[in-house]
Amino acid sequence: MNDADIDADATDRILLQRMASGDRTALAVLYRSYHGRLCRFLSRLTRRADVIEEVINDCLWITWQKAGSFHGDSRVSTWIIGIAYRCGLKALRQHGDEPMEDDALSEDRFLSHNPDEDRELRDWLAKGLNRLSTDQRVVIELVYGLGHTLDDVAVIMQCPVGTVKARLFHARVKLRNTLPLLAGESPMRNESAS
Amino acid sequence: MKSPSDIDMDCARAWDAMPWVLQHSATPALDEWLTQHLAQCASCRAEFAQQSRLRRALSLPSDIPLDANAGLRRLLARVDAPDTEEISRRSRPPSWLTRALVAAVLVQALGIGVLGAKLWLESAHPAYRTLSQNVMPAPAGAIHVVPDESMKVAEWNALLHSLHLQVVGGPNDVGAYTVVPAGAAATSNDILQKLRGTQGIRLAEPVAVTQ
Repeated sequence: MNDADIDADATDRILLQRMASGDRTALAVLYRSYHGRLCRFLSRLTRRADVIEEVINDCLWITWQKAGSFHGDSRVSTWIIGIAYRCGLKALRQHGDEPMEDDALSEDRFLSHNPDEDRELRDWLAKGLNRLSTDQRVVIELVYGLGHTLDDVAVIMQCPVGTVKARLFHARVKLRNTLPLLAGESPMRNESAS
Repeated sequence: MKSPSDIDMDCARAWDAMPWVLQHSATPALDEWLTQHLAQCASCRAEFAQQSRLRRALSLPSDIPLDANAGLRRLLARVDAPDTEEISRRSRPPSWLTRALVAAVLVQALGIGVLGAKLWLESAHPAYRTLSQNVMPAPAGAIHVVPDESMKVAEWNALLHSLHLQVVGGPNDVGAYTVVPAGAAATSNDILQKLRGTQGIRLAEPVAVTQ
């Protein structure tokens, strides 16, 4: 954990303490702080905006209710992302994980907010992630996107560290073999690395 | 110069180190070592470049259009009305699954009740009896009497008549009749004494009362 992470965690803990005493302003600050990363994390589980918004609110609703019972065994972000992960899985069971037809909406957003390079990068990433299982996508997002350690990911997904390592390894091998092809390159050598 | 197995081990170490170097959580020593390894290993360099691109792609903001302000307003409204939500949640009609389970339990309870009542009625008037079951209770004052084979029917009838006895059962496998006093003219003991003293009666014993 670097200095920035330590500072962010200290801020989050103060916000949780204030939330435990009923401070709605602290909840609003935490909400804005986590909205972006929760949205991106949950978009690896489902493409439905309505489900993502519902899960974000369920997650922060639980965070608000249980703020006083946070014992500090992990980083606040690990705790909150763990809640979001479980809420996300529950929502998938209730709604199914079929994507909403939002292609046109996303297209407009790309054109208005993202340069061409970002668009190409997103397209490359989406095609690569589509070849992974849900668990592998989540591990990749947690490690590369949100910067969690293996121990953090094990806490979030409530599984042994060995399982996380295996998921990360297989996801990386699969991406190594498919992403160059998607970018029009030849794949790298395919021997097993461990 | 390194052997091929050493190079493979270095590549495996580099593979393990890449995610943590990319997220700046690796130790400075590991970071430095990977930099040196990448300088001399084209394969790992290509892998690292792809990993860097992956991390950059995953760091882009979500492309799902969500309004954080609208979401926060909904959450605060939910915080302000927790009791209302709790009440509505409690008063929400049960799901079809709950209803089906309740219906199944009720049907089972009804079936068990009907079967129980039927069994109770049957046990009050058993249609058959096994050898392990007790015999039907004999009436009060009943006596088992075994007449001798040589005793004539007329003599047997005369004896029953003189002692005011009535046959209510038998003869069983050993030839015993169950008799009861027809009136209150004499006590069971008197009758027993008279029966035992009668010629042609091999055995006369009171029937033990069973519950």
